[in-house]
Amino acid sequence: MKGITITLVSLLMLTLISVVFSNYANGYMVFGIMVLAALKFVGISFYFMELKKAHSFWKFGLLLFLILFVALVLLFVK
Amino acid sequence: MENIIAKSKSIYYPPGGILIWIIIFLELITFGIALIAMVFYGQDELEIFHTSRLQLNTTIGTINTLFLITSGYFMAQSVSCLRKGQKEKSSLLLKLTILGGLLFLGLKTIEYYFKIEAGLTVGYNTFFTFYWMLTLFHVIHVIVGLVILTSVLVGLRKNPAKVAMEDVEASAAFWHMCDLIWLLLFPVIYLLF
Repeated sequence: MKGITITLVSLLMLTLISVVFSNYANGYMVFGIMVLAALKFVGISFYFMELKKAHSFWKFGLLLFLILFVALVLLFVK
Repeated sequence: MENIIAKSKSIYYPPGGILIWIIIFLELITFGIALIAMVFYGQDELEIFHTSRLQLNTTIGTINTLFLITSGYFMAQSVSCLRKGQKEKSSLLLKLTILGGLLFLGLKTIEYYFKIEAGLTVGYNTFFTFYWMLTLFHVIHVIVGLVILTSVLVGLRKNPAKVAMEDVEASAAFWHMCDLIWLLLFPVIYLLF
């Protein structure tokens, strides 16, 4: 219960940080936004969806998707 | 509780069951490919994508993100309470989950109304084609999720003894999937360009 609540607060804060971060146009903006999005994704899947209790196959599968997605977005953004 | 943890350690039983996780992966891959295509095409029309992105209301997008995350939190709490046999509390938390989803839909409707009023429809430019296709497809998932959660809530109220924990977990997994998809859509559509 406590862990889920801590996750909620972290997710809300990360969302607000990513919005503030997007207003600063610099070379690290896209990287920062995508890393924050990835962290939120992990928070929801591992804590709200309880993936941390699941078999490694599902954990690595989801992390592989996430890494591929973030990497491709960063690759295509100039 | 130990039984549930031991069960979810099996490769054949991720939380919610294997079928819902196959659906989750398929959905994530579908949305992921579409978002990568959006980023790819965006590099050819950087100026158009930038000015179009500025026409979106980031505040509405942010508030909607907060609604979905909070709704997901209530869902996780609801499942936890149901495992402990606290059916009344679980029902209440499920109602709050549904409320979060309805608030998301309400705000999305307002956003769509202003976009249509401004003439920013699906064929306006490449950015808005992606915007409408991706967000509408996501909204459909949210509506389906709300229907599923409502059926779980009705089951909990009318005949709680017949509600299977696996069904509730699978419903919760579907609802969290809507969160996950939105967490990919929000930065790419509202913040990146």
